[in-house]
Amino acid sequence: MSAVLSWAGDEDALPALGLTSTARSRTRRSQPGELPPEVEQALWRGCDFGSQGGTVVSSGFAALDAELPGGGWPCQALSEVLSPQQSVLEWRLIGPALRDVVSRGGNVVVVGPPKTPHLPGLHHTGIDEKHLVWVQAEAPAERLWCTEQLVKSGSCGAIVAWLPQARPEQIRRLQVCAQACDGLTFLFRPAAAQHESSAASLRVVATFGVDWEVRVHVVKRRGPAHDGLIHLRSFPGGLDSVLTPRLLVPSELIAARAPSRQRTHQGPVHALGGPAASSRLGRHATAG
Amino acid sequence: MLWAALLLPLGSAGTLPPDEALRGVATWALQFTPRVAVSEEAVLFEVEASVRLFGGKRALRDRVVQEGADLGVKSFAWATNSLAAHALARAGIENGFKRPLDDLLDGLPMGVLSAVGPHHSTLSKLGCRTLGDVRRLPRGGISRRFDKDLLGAIDRAYGLQPDGHTWVQMPDDFEAKLELMSRVEMAPALLFGARRLLLQMCGWLAARHSGTTAFTLKWAHDSMRSKEVGDGGELTIRTAAPSRNLEHLCRLLAEHLAKVELEAPVGDLQMVATEVVALNERSESLLPDETQAGESLQLVLERIAARLGPERVLRPVLTDDHRLEWMQMWQPVPKPLPRKAIDPVDMPQPTWVLPIPLQLSTRNDRPLYQGLLHLLTGPHRVEGGWWHRLGEGEGATTAHVQRDYWVALSEHAGVLWVYQERLASDETAWYLHGVFA
Repeated sequence: MSAVLSWAGDEDALPALGLTSTARSRTRRSQPGELPPEVEQALWRGCDFGSQGGTVVSSGFAALDAELPGGGWPCQALSEVLSPQQSVLEWRLIGPALRDVVSRGGNVVVVGPPKTPHLPGLHHTGIDEKHLVWVQAEAPAERLWCTEQLVKSGSCGAIVAWLPQARPEQIRRLQVCAQACDGLTFLFRPAAAQHESSAASLRVVATFGVDWEVRVHVVKRRGPAHDGLIHLRSFPGGLDSVLTPRLLVPSELIAARAPSRQRTHQGPVHALGGPAASSRLGRHATAG
Repeated sequence: MLWAALLLPLGSAGTLPPDEALRGVATWALQFTPRVAVSEEAVLFEVEASVRLFGGKRALRDRVVQEGADLGVKSFAWATNSLAAHALARAGIENGFKRPLDDLLDGLPMGVLSAVGPHHSTLSKLGCRTLGDVRRLPRGGISRRFDKDLLGAIDRAYGLQPDGHTWVQMPDDFEAKLELMSRVEMAPALLFGARRLLLQMCGWLAARHSGTTAFTLKWAHDSMRSKEVGDGGELTIRTAAPSRNLEHLCRLLAEHLAKVELEAPVGDLQMVATEVVALNERSESLLPDETQAGESLQLVLERIAARLGPERVLRPVLTDDHRLEWMQMWQPVPKPLPRKAIDPVDMPQPTWVLPIPLQLSTRNDRPLYQGLLHLLTGPHRVEGGWWHRLGEGEGATTAHVQRDYWVALSEHAGVLWVYQERLASDETAWYLHGVFA
């Protein structure tokens, strides 16, 4: 909206500046379908992102940064991460951003995680014991209250909260509070919440891919709708140091094993197992 | 000179307010200036020198009026001397600087000066109604017919003679009582009265340049209680860092009061500052300090811990062990971390762990968890712990483990950290212990 307004303003400003004859001649010389640079600069296209007011923290993935308005996870706003399963990919997705937060001395506060965070593993994403706090909130009301208190205080580097049962009006309340919070706020919610409305300014659906991938689809952002999936390559918990080249593509490994199993074992159990394996294979072919 | 007069409401029969109430307001006022005096039903204090510290006259006045109203002050007045401020407060005029003081005082009824009291009937028979009328009487006549106090009081109120006061001394310990307006049956409702006491305590702490790390709220049950119920109860609230921030202490108290169940209706409250330590204040800076804009993390976590319980707001500590369960432990946040940091292992480690390993079913000796697992790398042998005894006496076992850890891949559940353990009679079993998320 503001971009459109500024464009209109520029249009008014052009005669006031007094276009010199050289500028006019340059306009005339430009090819049809090609805009003169001063117009090009002021033009807002439908595929551009809206102006991102606040600061951002880079997500650590260039492909994801390119799709996020401002080039990273937004501060002063909620980022909702929807995933079909809990505790599968959280740290892989937000880990690089948290490394950035911790390196600047920010604290990471985890509210109501589904499992126990394991610090030796988190060390590989740059989080240390001085900058991690675990708030064991269980009931939905407790989770919301703790998250709201933390967001209101605005003193955390990053708040990571699991809110499986939050309602849209509660998310809106958090979003209003978050506008005064300088840190990152991640809300992890089930993928079913995708169909509810939400006031969060950024919503992404993240799924897990076998080949050391996290697949991200941006559902809502300040900008045009996003099509397709972003494939982010990430190795959790320091596994990159031990993987052999063959293990870097586990899908091929699985594919190679599946038919051999079908051939060698003949029996009622594996007759059932066979088609399942092949259907899995087929899904991979389409996903890849 | 900038004098403030704060008037407390009189008793029903025109009696002076209780001594405790006056002392409470005076204690609170000591944070603004050391020159605080109590005169009849009013607390008077002089704040000319403190105006800049509290952000200007307007800000100071707003703060005094707002906090004073919480303390139960009925009316306020500001003037160049204490007697005039007192008289204006009685007449209900707040601003003594709006017009010249003489004009303002001349229009007031003469009853506003206490010194007029004994001679009120005589003066009214002389036809005097306002202070102006009294002032216009011949001075020689007044001093001869009435006592010298009347002329002295009028001179002091009009600023012709200097004032003299006995300053209120700051008490060494803070202890304040409050009788509640009505019996309170629910603990959270005590907060209204407790806030008034907290306000006094914060004023006292500010005057002493200190903060509190522990304060106690005591309550007394009223006399109509049943026999088995005791005299009352108390609640001690501790803070990690010394504080005299009213809002913080108030919210902390509210969290604790929410858990208290009263045995009988409460009539009286008492607040004691049990632990007081000097507080180093942040200096006021020309440039706003951005990092101090919000509440500090410590304060929030303290409030969360007050509601959830301290054992649920945790910070991890690495321990020197290679068994997954004992690699880290969690401790409440206020506890300091050990000075000697343990180097983290540089082997791959999962980012989530299950508190109790989950036994997996198997098919063809391969573990199942949301489908068949594909073992990627391993085994990573973890063995030891015979020295680690759990339990006492007969039931004591050692936490000895002998496990082969594998990184397993599931197409649905992600990258998992599973282990195989040898059971009795050459059986083996698979367990899920962590997730690389």
